[in-house]
Amino acid sequence: MKTSKKTLLSISGLTKKYNQTKALENISFDIPNKSIFALLGPNGSGKSTIIKILSRLTTDWTGDIFHNGQSIKLSNNYLKDFGFIIEEPCFYEYLSARDNLKILSRLTNTPFERIEIVLELVDLIHRGNDKVGNYSYGMKQRLGIAQALLHDPKILVLDEPNNGLDPIGINQMADLIFRLNNNGKTILLSTHSLIEVDRLCSHVAILRDGNLLIEKEMKINTDNKFFRVEVGDSREAISFLKKIDYINIIATEKNILILSQDLTKSSTDLQKEIRKNKNIKSIHQESDLIKYFYD
Amino acid sequence: MIKSLLYNEFIKVLNKKRTYIGFILILVFVPIIVLSIGNGAGYLENKIYGQLRDSFIVFGSLTNGYLATYLIIAILIGQMPFLATIVASEIVSGEYSKGTFRMYLSRPVSRNLILISKLIIVNIYTIIIMFFFIFYTLFVSIVFLGKGDLAVFHMGLLFLGEGDILWRFFLAFNISTLVMITISNLCFMLSTFFKNSVTPIIITISAVFIGTAISFIPLKIFESLNPYLFTGYIDLFLTAFYDPVPWYLIRNAVMVCSLWSIVFIGFSFYHFSKKEILE
Repeated sequence: MKTSKKTLLSISGLTKKYNQTKALENISFDIPNKSIFALLGPNGSGKSTIIKILSRLTTDWTGDIFHNGQSIKLSNNYLKDFGFIIEEPCFYEYLSARDNLKILSRLTNTPFERIEIVLELVDLIHRGNDKVGNYSYGMKQRLGIAQALLHDPKILVLDEPNNGLDPIGINQMADLIFRLNNNGKTILLSTHSLIEVDRLCSHVAILRDGNLLIEKEMKINTDNKFFRVEVGDSREAISFLKKIDYINIIATEKNILILSQDLTKSSTDLQKEIRKNKNIKSIHQESDLIKYFYD
Repeated sequence: MIKSLLYNEFIKVLNKKRTYIGFILILVFVPIIVLSIGNGAGYLENKIYGQLRDSFIVFGSLTNGYLATYLIIAILIGQMPFLATIVASEIVSGEYSKGTFRMYLSRPVSRNLILISKLIIVNIYTIIIMFFFIFYTLFVSIVFLGKGDLAVFHMGLLFLGEGDILWRFFLAFNISTLVMITISNLCFMLSTFFKNSVTPIIITISAVFIGTAISFIPLKIFESLNPYLFTGYIDLFLTAFYDPVPWYLIRNAVMVCSLWSIVFIGFSFYHFSKKEILE
């Protein structure tokens, strides 16, 4: 598998079924190195399934995932480069935070000195000897970050990291994500909040009903204008639209394309430009992109 | 890696309250039973050996520490599966239900190694609790009731001399532990299937009850089935006090129990390696 030097993780034709229900259908995208990559979609769209496949919690799936060009099916060694927080953080509640982290350190041969570093990072250094059962949800979430960072992974995978956090906690989480990304870590996070994506992420993949809607990675700016374009032949339309420099194709679904347009241009310019192509049947401005994706 | 995994499991088991339930129950109730046997020695002897007094003159008391231990093991061995499976029932299912597997299994460690470490801990726990049950009972009984010959029923009344008894308790410990390990392995297997720790215990105890019932019901089909069921060997420890010891029965028990254990462990590994951790 050839991947660009900038690609850290390449997902190719990922398909997962639960009995007869398709949870993921032929999903392919690349996650660039040192990006903050969002998996965006409503509940049940397949975000957590991708994360569970990556973390080997889900075992029966088809397609492939390449980490640094190597299939993750070959060995679970790649997991040493990953730190996960999957759904709500769960710990051995009858043990202290330090003892929980010691248990995890032994799995990756991580020196115990790292425990103090990560506890300091998440501001739990003074509560490290308390039993986790006595922690608040926010503290557990921070300890979740600590356990994910314990073995100093290159990629941090966060499943709905802001779930259950108050506004202060959400801000602290955002600061932490930025700090970690600035320190060279790639962040993959799943969320159902477009605002969160806009605030945090450099790249996004949008999922719905197990299908990937997005055509390529890009930054979504919620201040942009969005258009829903109905086309005849989507391939031809995409190649035409790619030539227009002030728009981005952010999603494709059968014969529907979703475009985002830079605010510097007027909508009329875009509409004029687009109508030159006979393959494009209609164009409508979408006032609420979140509603479009979630309905 | 296996050392680290074993150490982790050891820490987890040591820090759970449920680990100590069996030990506390044995610690508290055995002395009470021993003292009761001591106090009711005369009544007990009349009950057990009553008819023999018509034919024999018995000097002194037959009730001593060895007899008390023998009786207590015989009475409580049927309840030991409850205590022996306390750890087995929870060691895997507990991690499913608490969600800790999401954290534990997403590390670069093979699932098989993780399961091996858990299996070893379950078997060690079973050995320790059986050792504690038999030898703590023996210790307390000897302290309260002293030593002496052991009179048991085997083809009539069999008197075992004081010097001929201790090794028989070691043999009884080995036989009963072998059966109890098989029961723990069954519970361990069920623990890999279920997300709560109650269901594995209930199914295991039900299986033991049904198996024991089969060994008591005098039907031809059950009689032919019984030698192949591990539950038919729960009271096999009694043969340690036969003279001579029927080694062929013990050899059969070792083979049957080992085969069942292999089946249970095989299913556990097969299921766990494919298990999807969805919650």
